[in-house]
Amino acid sequence: MGETITFWVLAVVSVSAALGLVFSRKAVYCALMLGVVMLSLAVLYAVQDAPFLAAVQIIVYTGAVMMLFLFVLMLVGVDSSDSLVETIRGQRFWAVVAGLAFAALVALGVGNVVFAPAAGLGAVNAAGNVPSLAELIFTRYVFAFEVTSALLITAALGAMVLAHRERLEQKATQRELSRERFVKYGEEGLDPSPLPGPGTYARANAIDMPALLPDGKISKLSVNRYIARYEAEEGTIDPKVAEILEGEDK
Amino acid sequence: MEPAEILSHTGGGAISLAWLMIVLPLAGAAILLIGGRATNKWGHLLGVLMSVGAFVVAALVFLQLIGLDPAQRRQSVNLYEFIPGVANIGLLIDPLSISFCLLITFVGSLIHIYSIGYMSHDPDRRRFFAYLNLFVAAMLLLVLADNYVALFIGWEGVGLASYLLIGFWQYKPSAAVAAKKAFVVNRVGDFGLLIAMFIIFAQFGTLQYAEVFPAASQASQGVLTAIGLLLLLGACGKSAQLPLQSWLLDAMEGPTPVSALIHAATMVTAGVYLVVRSGAAFFPEGSTAGLVVTIVGVATLLAGAIIGTAKDDIKKGLAGSTMSQIGYMMLAAGIGPAGYAFAIAHLITHGFFKADLFLGAGSVMHAMNDEVDMRRYGGLRKLLPITFVTFFIGYLAIIGFPLLSGYFTKDGIIESVMHHNAILGWLAVLGAGITGFYMTRMVVMTFFGPKRWDEKAHPHESPAVMTWPLIILSIFSVGLGAYLILSNRLLVFLGPAVGQPAELPGFHPFSVPGLTTLALVAVGAGIAIAKYGRSEVPVVQPRGSFLTVFARRDLYGDALNEALFMRPGQWLTRLAVFFDNRGIDGVVNGLAAGVGGSSGRLRKIQTGYVRSYALSIFVGAAVLAGAWFVVGTL
Amino acid sequence: MITAPTIEYFALAPLLIIFGAAIIGVLVEAFAPRYLRRAVHVPLTLLSLVGAFALVILQTVRGVPTTPAAMGSVAVDGPTLFIWGTILVLSFVSVLLINDEEQFVPSAAAVPGSAEEEKAITEGAAHTEVYPLALFAIGGMLLFPASNDLLIMFVALEVMSLPLYLLCGLARRRRLLSQEASVKYFLLGAFSSAFFLYGTALLYGFAGTVDLLGIRERLAVGGGGTETLLLVGTAMLGVGLLFKIGAAPFQAWKPDVYQGAPTPITALMASGTLVAAFGAVLRVFWVALGNDSWNWEPIMWGVAALTMVAGSILAITQTDIKRMLAYSSIAHAGFLLVGVMAVGERGQNALALSGLLFYLVTYGITTVGAFAIVTLVRDPGGEAWHLSRWAGLGKRSPKLAGLFAFFLLAFAGIPLTSGFFGKYAVFRSAVALGEAWLTGLVVLAVVASAAAAFFYVRVIVLMFFSDPSADGPTVVTPSWATSTVVGFSAFATVALGVFPQPVLDLAEKAAKSLFVQ
Repeated sequence: MGETITFWVLAVVSVSAALGLVFSRKAVYCALMLGVVMLSLAVLYAVQDAPFLAAVQIIVYTGAVMMLFLFVLMLVGVDSSDSLVETIRGQRFWAVVAGLAFAALVALGVGNVVFAPAAGLGAVNAAGNVPSLAELIFTRYVFAFEVTSALLITAALGAMVLAHRERLEQKATQRELSRERFVKYGEEGLDPSPLPGPGTYARANAIDMPALLPDGKISKLSVNRYIARYEAEEGTIDPKVAEILEGEDK
Repeated sequence: MEPAEILSHTGGGAISLAWLMIVLPLAGAAILLIGGRATNKWGHLLGVLMSVGAFVVAALVFLQLIGLDPAQRRQSVNLYEFIPGVANIGLLIDPLSISFCLLITFVGSLIHIYSIGYMSHDPDRRRFFAYLNLFVAAMLLLVLADNYVALFIGWEGVGLASYLLIGFWQYKPSAAVAAKKAFVVNRVGDFGLLIAMFIIFAQFGTLQYAEVFPAASQASQGVLTAIGLLLLLGACGKSAQLPLQSWLLDAMEGPTPVSALIHAATMVTAGVYLVVRSGAAFFPEGSTAGLVVTIVGVATLLAGAIIGTAKDDIKKGLAGSTMSQIGYMMLAAGIGPAGYAFAIAHLITHGFFKADLFLGAGSVMHAMNDEVDMRRYGGLRKLLPITFVTFFIGYLAIIGFPLLSGYFTKDGIIESVMHHNAILGWLAVLGAGITGFYMTRMVVMTFFGPKRWDEKAHPHESPAVMTWPLIILSIFSVGLGAYLILSNRLLVFLGPAVGQPAELPGFHPFSVPGLTTLALVAVGAGIAIAKYGRSEVPVVQPRGSFLTVFARRDLYGDALNEALFMRPGQWLTRLAVFFDNRGIDGVVNGLAAGVGGSSGRLRKIQTGYVRSYALSIFVGAAVLAGAWFVVGTL
Repeated sequence: MITAPTIEYFALAPLLIIFGAAIIGVLVEAFAPRYLRRAVHVPLTLLSLVGAFALVILQTVRGVPTTPAAMGSVAVDGPTLFIWGTILVLSFVSVLLINDEEQFVPSAAAVPGSAEEEKAITEGAAHTEVYPLALFAIGGMLLFPASNDLLIMFVALEVMSLPLYLLCGLARRRRLLSQEASVKYFLLGAFSSAFFLYGTALLYGFAGTVDLLGIRERLAVGGGGTETLLLVGTAMLGVGLLFKIGAAPFQAWKPDVYQGAPTPITALMASGTLVAAFGAVLRVFWVALGNDSWNWEPIMWGVAALTMVAGSILAITQTDIKRMLAYSSIAHAGFLLVGVMAVGERGQNALALSGLLFYLVTYGITTVGAFAIVTLVRDPGGEAWHLSRWAGLGKRSPKLAGLFAFFLLAFAGIPLTSGFFGKYAVFRSAVALGEAWLTGLVVLAVVASAAAAFFYVRVIVLMFFSDPSADGPTVVTPSWATSTVVGFSAFATVALGVFPQPVLDLAEKAAKSLFVQ
């Protein structure tokens, strides 16, 4: 009975979270909704006598994968959001049609099933949930388990290939960098000190957030020109930043 | 006697290695073509070696074959299944095919050797030898095949080699045009052969000789005649018989060894081979198809001879003669088992003496800076003694001078045709007389009389590598006929392959037709000597009488083709275009446009956006699942 | 107490060698100095492929196992060994093409067109990781058709695909296109994998097992009230598999990905992946769903018809040579699907299977040869991809154009090329079934072949009968590796067109035992 109640409660929670994930425009909200879905699933596993799976779900998905998502979002800027304007004609319409048809078919398929009585979790977990799972993984599915390692190695290698930059020249030492800064200062008048961070009065520390000077004005040095121009195009730019940008463009 | 049954070869020996005959020259061609310039230095030697190798294999197979009991002499060697359920690649070793193999490889090897000298100054000599090797391989496949599919592959292979070799000097527009013409005309014939094969397959369910031939008698007469006539169409294309003769004269644009090997000795006789090979099944004695074969043969032998009388180009004169001689073979092949042995005997001796004549002509051209106009020759016998002697022997052989090769074989043909149909026989005799005229004319204009060549030409005898093949060929031109015909050697030998008449023909040197033939040849030769030997030969071609022009223009063959086929063809095309723009448009053009148009429309689905691709997959999945439901619950 | 699993190491040795070599390749990346890496990778990769091939031969000689290996996960049977041999040969020639550094980006992390990229090119940087990545992909290709349960099949699918997603994005020229292709392939591949997984789950719901033989047995028993799960499950599984072979309506990725990927990788995908995916299709539909053929055959019929028609028609308006070959590959997938439906009693199955195996060999080899030639015709900015650039190539470079024309004729299935016998073998098996609905499909396939021949011949006409433009593409002198590939492909296409018997026999022998059931 408890299981049924949990299921229906979590069903509502997870489905609405999933819908929120799809329809929300803010990436951070999407990520958090995803977290809710994952946690709901973990709870469902737990009440179905699969503690190992529940733990793994929380550790791997909620713990690791979610965090990765959030890191990426932080790097991109929490405020950034995607344009949801559909430019392809008929895309939405057919997507809805196909989605409804698909849902109807699956419902028809699953709904018409008459299940034989289940073996029962007790019987399956007789030797304990984790040992039984281990037995399956290390006997019947040992080859699949081992081959999965190829997948992980590929993923690691792929990350290296796509993201790693080979250093093609000697790394500049602190001394050289410092000298270069001062040479530039002497020749072009560039400030040798680092660029200002978001500052004490900033509300966030994402890269698109300009630093505030003590008088509340924006530090020109802290405005990332690429992002500012992008935001200007998207129309999401802070008016104060926009002023600075306009001043420069003239 | 009926042909023997085709047994499948089981024992070992040379017969089971017969495939080497094809593979050796094929490998030679492949090495020379793939190896490219790297093989320039020794390419011609490899070509010769491969051809000689094929000859050695052929000789060994021949020796093994004659060691067998006559009833065992038709053996098929199955190599592998080619098109499962339709045809195998297999070789049929029997007296007929081995006779061809020996001719092809022996004459072929001599011509390979000759070409070393003839092509020595050509920068593309290696490529020439590669094509020659390719030709030999394809020709051997053609005659050795034990089914129509493999025969057809060889048939197309020799066509390809012929096309490549006629157009070997493709920078000459005339050579390129001639190659194209040969290609197109041959396609007409091939089409006939192909349709014949379709009918055979539809009728008998197989294309293997071993299964088709015994079953042929059960098919209806109409089908057999249709197959026979279509096969004849194929034969006419390849053997330059009327009405598909027009390409052969132009084909003389190719290098002379090619004319000798392909367009005189071997490839053009493939049509005769086809008729003889299929003879027992599709051209039996007294059949309609056989009658048509004899008519085509007679018409061509006369037409070729007449064309030969008026040509000033030595090679074209010889080409006319080739047409004419093949006409003799066709004539004999058309009358059934009584003629087969004579057709093949004449084919073999013709292979030797015509190759001898062509190579001799080549030697003359080699000496005369590639001049081909006989009106600019004259008096060459002293300057080119070996060429003269060998050419003269070839000449005597072809006109049927007593006791030389052509005498026995041509006389045999006339004799057997006389028994079959007197009218055809007398026409053949007339042809022999004309042969006497034009061949004498050729010899006289080339070797006798005053010299008529430019000061720039310095005639010289060819190198040994060219004269030795001439000498060998001329030796065979002397004695081979007597060997094959006397005591019916070839007839008995070929018996198991093509059948032989119940009564063996005797040799009657003093029969009426025989003596008439000799007399007519003498008259022809006399006229030629009187006309060209006694009086001045003008260097520039005179206008000539109506008849001369008629012959010069190849009996208006091209004009006829143009009027009968090309113009109406063009007219039909124009008409079709007219209708196409109106009515048929909707069907034919509409179809093409429809395909292109729907392609353009469908292409729009391919937007390049990954989400629309995903949607297409999703829709597909929904449709698939729906379909599964519908099918599964029905 | 768990008893240790039994692993048939000998039967699995080809797989283990490939994966082992891939891992050694990763270690080489980690520890070998940069200038040595390529010199180690190339022989390592090629030798591992040769070694695996030798082991496949050895197994064939020593007798084909009759029970699945590795606790029932991997079925090493006659067809598997034949497919393995085919994939290994195709991979070997593809790796020879991959050996061409010119094709791959020097530094994938550098922004396309940036100064950093320029610098990487001048410094001679290279991603030697492509070799271990290719080996992982090949390992996945080997495992995919040999999988004996849906779980390992899914893992194999991912092991095969993931390195390919990566490799697709590493083209040196037209990098943005290449990266786009990579992302598209990844997203759509993930999408289709989801279908595969969902189908697996539903089939588990139907049969209570993911084992192919288990599903087969469950089907033989029938009843049980879970049939509707079977229907949806099969459909979903079918989507995942048909996506991999590029059957319509799941073909949309193929032209974009083939076009964007570095050409050697395209060659590997068009040959090896197709063979592997067809092996998997056969295994799922013949082994697991063999008792359900009257349900999936009508749908497969529609898919096959749609695929060959769409492939042939869409190819006509293509102007990019690689896209054209991609559509040609789609059309060929449709022709191959005809053979998948030609199931009946045992002898008929063996006939159909041998036809399919032969077709896969011939098509794979010809494809690699054609793509190898594509790598040789270059413009200043990379390969001369636009068809109009190929105009008059026959006059400029007759040998190359002649070979390409020959490959195209083989695609079209002209007699005396291997393509003819491939088509013949498959269509014959379909006709031999003697069912009107399938014979009708063969007729459609022949018509589609004729339409397809149109665009092949069009390229030939373009190459030989139009005048070359003055600033036409240059034909680079092929490296020894590329010439080997072209030579091998041309030779095999001729040899299998003239003398198909040995390979046909081999395919027949492999097919005789059918899949382990």
